[in-house]
Amino acid sequence: MHSAAWRISLWATLAFACGTVLVFVFLHNFVANDIQRRSDAWLSGEIEVLGDVAERTPKDALYDRVVGEVAELAGKEVPNKLLSENSSNDSVFFLQTGDDGSLKLWVGAGNGKANLQAIKAIRIAPDHPTDLRVEGFGVPFRVASIRIDDRSNIYLGLSERDELRVLRSLRLRFFLIWLLLVLFGFSIVFYTTRRMLSHVRKITEAASRIGLSDLNARVPTTERNDEVGHLSRTLNRMLDRIANSIHQLHTITDSLAHDLRSPLTAIRGKLEMSLSAPTQGEQLEPIVAAIEELDRLTEFLNQSLDVAEAKADALRLARSKVDLDELIKIMIDLYGPSMSEKGLQILLKSSAPSTIEADESLIHRMIANLFDNEFKHLPPNCTVTIRLKVEGESVSLVFEDDGPGFSDEVMPHLFERRVKGRESNGHGLGLAFIDAVARAHGGTVTARNRESGGAEIEVTLPLAPTDYKANPITVLHGNG
Amino acid sequence: MRLLLVEDEIDIQSFLRTSLEEAGYQVAPAADGKTAEQLAIDGQFDILIVDLGLPDQDGISLILKLRKLGVRAPVLILSARRSVDDRVRGLEQGGDDYLTKPFALAELLARLRNLLKHNSPAGNEATRLRVLDLELDLLRREASRSGEILQLTPQEFVLLEYLCRNAGRVVTRSMILDKVWGMRIQPDTNVVDVHIYRLRGKVDGKGQQPLIRTLRGVGYVLKDR
Repeated sequence: MHSAAWRISLWATLAFACGTVLVFVFLHNFVANDIQRRSDAWLSGEIEVLGDVAERTPKDALYDRVVGEVAELAGKEVPNKLLSENSSNDSVFFLQTGDDGSLKLWVGAGNGKANLQAIKAIRIAPDHPTDLRVEGFGVPFRVASIRIDDRSNIYLGLSERDELRVLRSLRLRFFLIWLLLVLFGFSIVFYTTRRMLSHVRKITEAASRIGLSDLNARVPTTERNDEVGHLSRTLNRMLDRIANSIHQLHTITDSLAHDLRSPLTAIRGKLEMSLSAPTQGEQLEPIVAAIEELDRLTEFLNQSLDVAEAKADALRLARSKVDLDELIKIMIDLYGPSMSEKGLQILLKSSAPSTIEADESLIHRMIANLFDNEFKHLPPNCTVTIRLKVEGESVSLVFEDDGPGFSDEVMPHLFERRVKGRESNGHGLGLAFIDAVARAHGGTVTARNRESGGAEIEVTLPLAPTDYKANPITVLHGNG
Repeated sequence: MRLLLVEDEIDIQSFLRTSLEEAGYQVAPAADGKTAEQLAIDGQFDILIVDLGLPDQDGISLILKLRKLGVRAPVLILSARRSVDDRVRGLEQGGDDYLTKPFALAELLARLRNLLKHNSPAGNEATRLRVLDLELDLLRREASRSGEILQLTPQEFVLLEYLCRNAGRVVTRSMILDKVWGMRIQPDTNVVDVHIYRLRGKVDGKGQQPLIRTLRGVGYVLKDR
């Protein structure tokens, strides 16, 4: 769940971060272009003025001085000017070359030779300020030029240092703001997703709990009218319907049981009374047979209804701790004599107590069914080996014999109701019942023929958790 | 012994009444909760049999109502339902008993006796049981017939002890399975019969009067006469 919140927030933040970066890049370029446009406009204006001055100033001894002064004055009106580290004005230079390209007049930091060299290396078109890299200067100059009538060229260079500095501080601010925005966005997305998903998690937890035991419980709902609210309300409506179906099933099986048991009770009672009446003599036998049939019918009815409920995962369990090891030993004690009368041998291979949390009566009947199954299907002189082994969180109970095994025709339908071998005299519910009980306890049953001959039935049941606290009653619809 | 029988099914009520009277109970029948309430308030009963599915009210509500009215007698609850209600479990813990329909009469009678015994002050627990010439030493887990020690397995001893405690009365296979092995199962094989057969072979030796009798369709009885 947390990983889902992480993933969602990471992706959302990534998209958000990319978007904001794009916006900032656009803003940055806009600002940079604007600054350049302004300095270009200034350069163009100034070079015009300087060209004018240079043209009109008479070429006398004062020429250099006059033009130099004007150039220096212009340098002090630089736009976007920041205080430079040294006092001399190195952000602007003025350079005039003669017709032959030699340096005629220089105003600026240094002697201007490097600048002249750089200018000569590239062609500078008049009226179009160009970037110029000069050796010895870290940042390039923006240079405008003009050609005046005495065939000399005038160059005015403006260092881009200030411009770059403005842009750099802009970028820094953008970065900090971006970082804050991204972090803020991430935390908001993460917080809200986690909140949402924690609702979903609560619903999942509640739903899985409900699946295990109590169909009367419902998943937590919220007042909000969002997807999560819908989810929980939908789940609850579904649970209502399931609970209703199960309740309906219980009502049907219960009333069926009730409606059949009442007459069975009356019949059995009357038969028993006629049995105890003294003068029956010869007619005892049919009554005895009828009572036995009636008991078998009752047991069949019980098991059928259990199987029906278990198939719908609706078997009601009254769970308590049951030690399978102990139970098997008692069962062997119970079945031992009749097995050995028939020439069958029982071997038990069990290592340790294995406690499960189960409906005692159902487990008793399930294991009795396993024994009955062996007893009825094995010919004399066979051996039944019962193995009980704990594997991790579950215990498996294996009944294997060296008898004829399952015939091919019953093999695919072993766990269906009314499937029995040709020789069987049971009601064909045994394995279906075993399967039903195992399922109801969260276990499984597998049946197969062993390679060495004989049948093997393995029942796997989950072990009781070690910190299990007895909670003996889990009846779903107690009114039964 | 005065017994209040609350059962709405006429068929069941009539055979229960007959067999309970045969067993020596004075039976007052009631077919619904209202009649039962009236009878219970008017008369003193030693024990009650209450069916859970009454036409006018739930059997458990009736029992709880009667308890509030001061009826102290133990109750044997009869039910044709599949699941055991939580409240029934509560009553069971409170000393009442529960029997699922259909049941064997012998089992019903045994449960009634048990309830009455629990309700009376407990006598000294005997360490020896005697039935005719059969003697059981409960401390040494030894059984002897006519002074001759019988070679019994521990399980056979428990079975014989159970038969002795119910000497003269019928016990069914289900009762034996429940009391001796602690199983409430209905095996469709003759497991109990074989145990009884083996026990009989040891207890009823040659030339001795057979003590363990089989009542076909009902169960077994250890003769005490």
